[in-house]
Amino acid sequence: MQIEQLQIFEIDNPHQVSSVEVHAQVLITSWVVIALLIALPVVATRNLQTIPTGLQNFIEYVLEFIRDLTRTQMGEEEYRPWVPFIGTMFLSIFVSNWSGALLPWRVIQLPHGELAAPTNDINTTVALALLTSVAYFYAGLHKRGFSYFGKYIQPTPVLLPINILEDFTKPLSLSFRLFGNILADELVVAVLVSLVPLIVPVPMMLLGLFTSAIQALISATLAAAYIGESMEGHH
Amino acid sequence: MRSISEIFAPLSYWVSAAGISLNTDIFEINLINLILVLSILFYYGKGVLISLLENRERTISNTIRDAEERYTEATEKLQKARIRLQQAEIKADEIRISGLAQMDKERQDLVDAADNDLNGLEDSKNNAIRFEKQRAFEQVRQQVSRLASQRALESLNSRMTNQLHMQLIDYHIGMLRSMSNK
Repeated sequence: MQIEQLQIFEIDNPHQVSSVEVHAQVLITSWVVIALLIALPVVATRNLQTIPTGLQNFIEYVLEFIRDLTRTQMGEEEYRPWVPFIGTMFLSIFVSNWSGALLPWRVIQLPHGELAAPTNDINTTVALALLTSVAYFYAGLHKRGFSYFGKYIQPTPVLLPINILEDFTKPLSLSFRLFGNILADELVVAVLVSLVPLIVPVPMMLLGLFTSAIQALISATLAAAYIGESMEGHH
Repeated sequence: MRSISEIFAPLSYWVSAAGISLNTDIFEINLINLILVLSILFYYGKGVLISLLENRERTISNTIRDAEERYTEATEKLQKARIRLQQAEIKADEIRISGLAQMDKERQDLVDAADNDLNGLEDSKNNAIRFEKQRAFEQVRQQVSRLASQRALESLNSRMTNQLHMQLIDYHIGMLRSMSNK
């Protein structure tokens, strides 16, 4: 199995061809995930009714789940504006992971590299983690102004280096947790398939579905927790 | 891909140029396992999901129905309360009016009673005055007649002699005789 990257040259200037490495297979699978995530609500909100049925019921349920999640982490007063962000994190990671595990990507064979879950690339997960970092920084600064930086010396100023370090380890851990889980699951399934092609990998694939769903939940919950933590202590 | 225009080239050209191809090796694409996983997922997941969603739908419709029922009940109660309020107001007006009338009547009665008392006292006063006046008249009359007879007696006693007295008696006998003869 190859995990090479597909190289694409950037849009060229009239006098020069510059090359930037882009992992095209991640882009393609990301676009598929985005298309899925946009198509689903558009279809489900076609015919809105007071008593929901079918697809509308389902996405309302998902929305309630995300809203509950956000409200649990951030408290009752200030969770409302962050529901879209946490929902995006959760749904994109969830659909990415499950699309990578369930859709038969190997039908399309690329010259270099192959299609899989977009989150098996460290760049994707680091991007998501940095988004979370920016989000909780923004939340803290917006809510408390420059006194946000006072949290670095809570509870005692001795912990200042640890608190600063935390700002770097948070995105690091978020990104690597997600990346490691998804990539490792793919690798294990691939190895099992190469050993025993038929029934044996199935339990591992089911476990992979389960853990990837948990990872999506964890990423979203942690994002919400970090944001909530940076917004609290306001009073 | 050297330029943007190549994106709009026909798909087959792009596919062959970029080397994308369709892989039909069943084992390599793991199709059987995928189908197995998907079928297990649907088989177990569908039941759970359907029951969850049905629960939710039923809860929502129940809540809506309860809310609507309570709304109609509340409007009915409001209506009834309004009617009772109107009736109470009418009754209050009636009571007030009758109270005022009663007050007037009692006042009038008091005035009449006072008038009657006044008249009675006046009458008795007049009677007393008249009575006293008459008594006074009687007394005066008695006094006058006593005085008059006293004086007459005195003058008689002072002027009467025996001879004059006998002449007077004879005169009176003659008068009485002539009266009895008539």
